[in-house]
Amino acid sequence: MTNELDPGKIARLLTQGTRQMDTSTLSALADARQNALKRQSVRAPVVALSTGRWTHNLIPHSAQQWLVTGLLVAIFVVAAGYWHHSQEQQISELDVAILTDDLPIEVFVD
Amino acid sequence: MRSLLIGLLLIPLLTSSPVSAAPESWQSLSPPQQKALAPLKQQWDGLSEAQQHRLLKTAKRYTHLTHEQKQRFHERLTVWSKLTPEQREAAREKYRAFKKVPAEKREQVKQMVRQEQERKAQQAASGVPATPSAGQP
Repeated sequence: MTNELDPGKIARLLTQGTRQMDTSTLSALADARQNALKRQSVRAPVVALSTGRWTHNLIPHSAQQWLVTGLLVAIFVVAAGYWHHSQEQQISELDVAILTDDLPIEVFVD
Repeated sequence: MRSLLIGLLLIPLLTSSPVSAAPESWQSLSPPQQKALAPLKQQWDGLSEAQQHRLLKTAKRYTHLTHEQKQRFHERLTVWSKLTPEQREAAREKYRAFKKVPAEKREQVKQMVRQEQERKAQQAASGVPATPSAGQP
């Protein structure tokens, strides 16, 4: 039973083992760790862009977002339709005014 | 947001004039439309869709005109329909600008135009060829 390994004993053995390593091995391990950390910090934003996270945020997900988007589109369509209709009305009124004015049409036409 | 962008792209299609619609033949017009646009009967089918669309909008107001206005409308319609879109737009701009002129000045201009018309009419009646009035090139 004295040979049984508990987690605490394993940790102590690993610590002892690490202390017994030679300096060059420890230095190589430290360098490898630093390199791995550098790679991770550089890769993170690239992964975020390549997975399309920017466009992903533009797409509505919840029903509430879809509702708001739909309402905005509807408001834009109605406003644009109203603007177009009023423009048409104004042009139509102007045309009739020119065609019926007591001044001859030649006054306004080059 | 993507649907918003799609919606925004669709707005011009939804609100633009029906350019893609087939041109309307003279026979397909209603009797009030035919009456309002009567001077254009012969040339109607040859007009562009956009022009037909615009004239039909204008014709809607014909029934509300006085007898004298209806006469002028018919007299000028053929000339108006033969103008280019740019000429018509320029005429609208001139008319808008003229309406902004003070009423007193507008009346002076109208008086001058009436005198010029009377002078031409008298010349035509007397058989004398029309000459440009003073101040005109």
